[in-house]
Amino acid sequence: MNAFIAGVGESPLGKTPDLNAMNLQHAAALAALADAGLTLAEVDGLLTTPIRVAQWAMPVGMVAQGLGIRPGYLATLDVAGASGTAMVHHAAMAVATGQAKTVLCVAGQNQLTNVSRDATVAQLASVGWAHPEYEAPYGPLIPTLYALVAQRHMHEYGTTPEQLAEVAVAIRGHAALNPLAHKREPITVADVLASKMITTPLHMLDCAIVSDGAAAFVVTAHPGKKKPVKLLGQGYGFTHAYIGEHDNIATTGAVQSGREAFAMAGVTPADIDVAQLYDCFTITVIAELEDLGFCPKGEGGRFVEGGRIRLGGELPVTTHGGLLSAAHPGLAGGMFHVVEAVRQLRGECGARQVRDAELALAHGNGGIIGIHCTLILGNA
Amino acid sequence: MLPPRPTNRFMLPRCEGCGKFHFYPRPACPHCGGARLAWMEPSGRGEVYSHSTVHRAPSAAFKDDVPYVIAIVKTDEGPHLLSRVVGVSPEKVSIGMRLRVRLGDRGPEFEPEA
Ligand SMILES: [Zn+2]
Repeated sequence: MNAFIAGVGESPLGKTPDLNAMNLQHAAALAALADAGLTLAEVDGLLTTPIRVAQWAMPVGMVAQGLGIRPGYLATLDVAGASGTAMVHHAAMAVATGQAKTVLCVAGQNQLTNVSRDATVAQLASVGWAHPEYEAPYGPLIPTLYALVAQRHMHEYGTTPEQLAEVAVAIRGHAALNPLAHKREPITVADVLASKMITTPLHMLDCAIVSDGAAAFVVTAHPGKKKPVKLLGQGYGFTHAYIGEHDNIATTGAVQSGREAFAMAGVTPADIDVAQLYDCFTITVIAELEDLGFCPKGEGGRFVEGGRIRLGGELPVTTHGGLLSAAHPGLAGGMFHVVEAVRQLRGECGARQVRDAELALAHGNGGIIGIHCTLILGNA
Repeated sequence: MLPPRPTNRFMLPRCEGCGKFHFYPRPACPHCGGARLAWMEPSGRGEVYSHSTVHRAPSAAFKDDVPYVIAIVKTDEGPHLLSRVVGVSPEKVSIGMRLRVRLGDRGPEFEPEA
């Protein structure tokens, strides 16, 4: 399948009270198209995700209208946090079949300034990640559902709070080198452990931030004008919708998504130069490192020690700063991992550039570790 | 289709074909595909599979409960279910702790086995 990511971009990120969801998406779309050397008039395919801050009955229609385009291929995609990576694959299928030549993928919203943080927490808790009838009445936060994963992982493999904290520290260190990132002030393991306990064993700094922002990329059948970045492989993995359904919660669907993506690309985890892992919580990264095959099962906690996932380490992870520090405006959060993978492969990352990066992995995780989409991207 | 979950006792869906319990309720048995399902009373015993003590309430409705223990309970019959562990201080809850059900306002909850 011949598909390339020809352009990437984002809106202003962080706190943007003067911009609504459509403003943010418009800004991101224009940035990605300008990066590709293309114009809105050339877009004949459009993908977006649902948003939570406004009542958009038909999100992709709202976005097409807002951008002033009438694409011949369009869809609203929702595989939760895996949407960012899955969008690349869906766009690639559209260009590979000839349904479209230039597919714009764009999503984002003013998740931070639209509502108060308390309202955001309540709104997220009510979306339905916990079963509305059998689970929500007990009062789990979304972080609680991930905390259950973390607690079990600690029990089975001896993973420690310090190892979880190191994930947040490493990724914040990357955000500090990204001028666009929402949170850039460096933190230490002690800072993470001293931050407010939300739901044991997860502290405030083990959890993703909430941001305003939008991201975009352009998928085309031809390499484009910049250094080419090609989709080499992808895979999906699904295990469960509600966490109680998964009888082995320390292991995720990334096992399957990674296996399929690596097989398709014909490469192994050892070949990957930089991994943009989905980092909604620190435990997510540790489980993904194991399940994608970067280390044996249960070794993720020990793997992150010694700077191994920091820039300059053996496997730099989530080099833009991720959901933990750079941007987390809802479902679009996983798109920034794709944007960063492309920039790393082009050598455009400045102070946070991974030297000679030729092969990147971008991973999305949705629900409560239930749905995964892994991409492998490389210089064609 | 299964009727709504009974509230006066702790019940789980059970397949009349293969005799196994499951959770969550669904149109067919996840073990054998059988469609003859009924709410049946399991032993009400199980153990903590994982747990988390919530310190920040998800909404005002839970503010007075903080801190409270959310757990995945592995029932002796097999199904896992999310619930609360009550009747014990949160720091004493651990994986593997034996539990028995009791009915609370929120639904079935679990407390340490005597
Ligand atoms: Zn059955």
